Amino acid sequence: MGTRTVIPFGPQHPVLPEPIHLDLVLEDEKVVEAIPKIGYVHRGFEKLVEKMDFNELVYVADRICGICAFIHSMAYCQGVEAVMSVEVPPRAEFLRTIWSELARLSSHLLWLGLMADAFGFESLFMQSFRIREKIVDMLEEMTGGRIILGVCRVGGVRRDVPNDALADIVRRVKDLGVEMHRLADVFLQDDSVKHRLVGVGVLIRDQAAELGCVGPMLRASGVSRDTRTLGYAAYGSVDFAPIVEKDGDSYARCAVRIRELFQSVDLVAQAASKIPGGEVGVKVSGYPEGEYHSRCEQPRGEVIHYVKGDGTRYLQRYRVRTPTFANIPALLRMLQGCELADVPVLVLTIDPCISCTER
Amino acid sequence: MSPLDTALLAIVVVVAAPIAGGLLAGIDRKLSARMQSRWGPPLLQPFYDVRKLFRKETIVVRRSQNFYVYFFFVFMVFTAALFFTGGDILLTIFALTLASIFLVLAAYKASSPYSFIGAERELILMMAYEPMVLLAAVGMYLVTRSFIVVDIARSPQLLALRLPGLFIGFVVVLVVKMRKSPFDLAASHHAHQEIVRGITTEFSGRTLALIEIAHWYETTVVLGMAALFFAALPWLAAVAAGCVFFLILLVDNVFARVKWQVALATAWITAAALGVGNILVVFFLR
Amino acid sequence: MSVFGMSRTIMRNLFSGPATRLYPTREKEPHRAARSRGRIEIDIEACIFCSACAKRCPTDAIIVSKTDKEWNIDRLRCCTCNACVEVCPKKCLAMGNRYTPPTVTKDKDIFRQPPRPPKEPETIPGA
Repeated sequence: MGTRTVIPFGPQHPVLPEPIHLDLVLEDEKVVEAIPKIGYVHRGFEKLVEKMDFNELVYVADRICGICAFIHSMAYCQGVEAVMSVEVPPRAEFLRTIWSELARLSSHLLWLGLMADAFGFESLFMQSFRIREKIVDMLEEMTGGRIILGVCRVGGVRRDVPNDALADIVRRVKDLGVEMHRLADVFLQDDSVKHRLVGVGVLIRDQAAELGCVGPMLRASGVSRDTRTLGYAAYGSVDFAPIVEKDGDSYARCAVRIRELFQSVDLVAQAASKIPGGEVGVKVSGYPEGEYHSRCEQPRGEVIHYVKGDGTRYLQRYRVRTPTFANIPALLRMLQGCELADVPVLVLTIDPCISCTER
Repeated sequence: MSPLDTALLAIVVVVAAPIAGGLLAGIDRKLSARMQSRWGPPLLQPFYDVRKLFRKETIVVRRSQNFYVYFFFVFMVFTAALFFTGGDILLTIFALTLASIFLVLAAYKASSPYSFIGAERELILMMAYEPMVLLAAVGMYLVTRSFIVVDIARSPQLLALRLPGLFIGFVVVLVVKMRKSPFDLAASHHAHQEIVRGITTEFSGRTLALIEIAHWYETTVVLGMAALFFAALPWLAAVAAGCVFFLILLVDNVFARVKWQVALATAWITAAALGVGNILVVFFLR
Repeated sequence: MSVFGMSRTIMRNLFSGPATRLYPTREKEPHRAARSRGRIEIDIEACIFCSACAKRCPTDAIIVSKTDKEWNIDRLRCCTCNACVEVCPKKCLAMGNRYTPPTVTKDKDIFRQPPRPPKEPETIPGA
């Protein structure tokens, strides 16, 4: 038995994109225990319901997170729309779907890059970000924002995209698919990458379900659960099936996200081909009264926005349950008994978004 | 060579080796950047970095850690002078090892968990590459009947033809020595790993600049050793050193960082199969 | 065994030149997409100082003074949400696609309407 060392990991650490702190108790290079500390970026967003009316709160929801920004604002808008029984025009629903999927592409490519960085593959990291940059450029052309799109509003979306511009976007996303295939080959075939991923941090199906995992974490362990199948926005009108892998290790999680890249490309194309004409927003009058749990599928998993209004301009209660929050227990389980070299890989496989989690 | 000539040559080496090493580091960064479709820093960036480090405040955990770094630097300069003036190759290798040991001691002395684990990993890496380096020296002796670098270099035989296995094995050592992926687990050039910058985490200012310069000496020495395999044809030696350098950059960019078990296994298996195998062939087919 | 899977991409990158730019010296052309949210621009001549933008601003970045004929924006507070542009009755606000240049001070951008000639014309010249 070696001597025990405690390695402070974070909140500022080169391989951690997010401010979480882990005290890693090591025996030689084996992690015996991991003690997490969070709370470094709590900003009190939910308290802002007292200061900002339900329309202005969309901007806040947009800024909960820097990567899944659009889906947060969409989930919030859906919540308020449900409370107020607002019928969103179908064109807006389809545009929301397209932007969600592009946001997913950008998020997954970012994740792949960070993952490559975590196992020390710098050129793969740069390549992922190079592809992601093109997705972000497309979002900028369509909405004006690169990361925080700021296009959702209660009752629809704030910007329309002409059909020919959409067709152009679809063509360019499909072209990117070729580059993504090359990237995917390295992630899924290269032996030095497999050496770092296969069998690392295995969560079997029951464990994943018991620990309450969501999103790609859960699907990589063989549970077919994807909130998009609820059919919110225009997901009811497009054809897709949740992507599931069986092994439950880091490699399976990587594979789920890579296959979701291609699924997203397909969904963007489907939505753009089926998009109806018409308005992209309706005027909303009155104030929300009632409560609603709005559920959406973030790139990281299921997000729940709880909205409660009491018939005034200001919401009474607003609460966000982010996917990372649900995945942290699984992370701690995986960290026990892993090697120090695996820690960055494991922390990243849950695709941590601590800023989301702490709001 | 007269002792005076040797002394003059040694002075030239001490001045020229870090310049060559720094330029190589600059080329390394530029080429790596282009491989990743980035612009990359200017060619002379490593020199700018070191100049800046010299101007910075040196913050230490314990003052004695710098003491070891000075020894690391001195022995690295000694290694380079010894090798390029054509001294004993075994002595060169031992001086190189001693220098690395001083760096490990410095990292242990810094008593930070990151540099501590970095030092442990560096020791494992030294265990991994040391057999191969010694086998290379033994192989050279078997072919040229001398451990003296000058004699090896003057040998009319192209060593790489007689010792292909040892040469390939030595390239693996180079990857470790130049702190490149897949073997950059003790300290990598970019701080993106679980132990921050590993062995050099706790060094700053002038001390870090010295480590950087010592590393340039190290790079020139190990590349010089690789070139020694082609010493019979000097132009080929230069081309070979360039090719090896490019190959290492390529390897750096197409591999993930491996764990220490695999690093050790890879290095020892190459040493056992290619190194020992090659020596046996040379020994019995002489 | 599959190693060197990345080498094809890498060699292609090596010969096809960098995808990045030396940013401050070389900018992207065209600079940004037409829709990019850069910064709020105002045609101060057309402004009637109704304060609708200041009221709608979620970050309180805009301050309007009717008496001084002054329109202020704190660029560092502004989240370029476009709400002020949408609410402006005279359409004198616009979303420019260039970003605010970097700054080291927290100054406000102040726009002051020059005093009008005594008799106000029907159409504003040069607007």
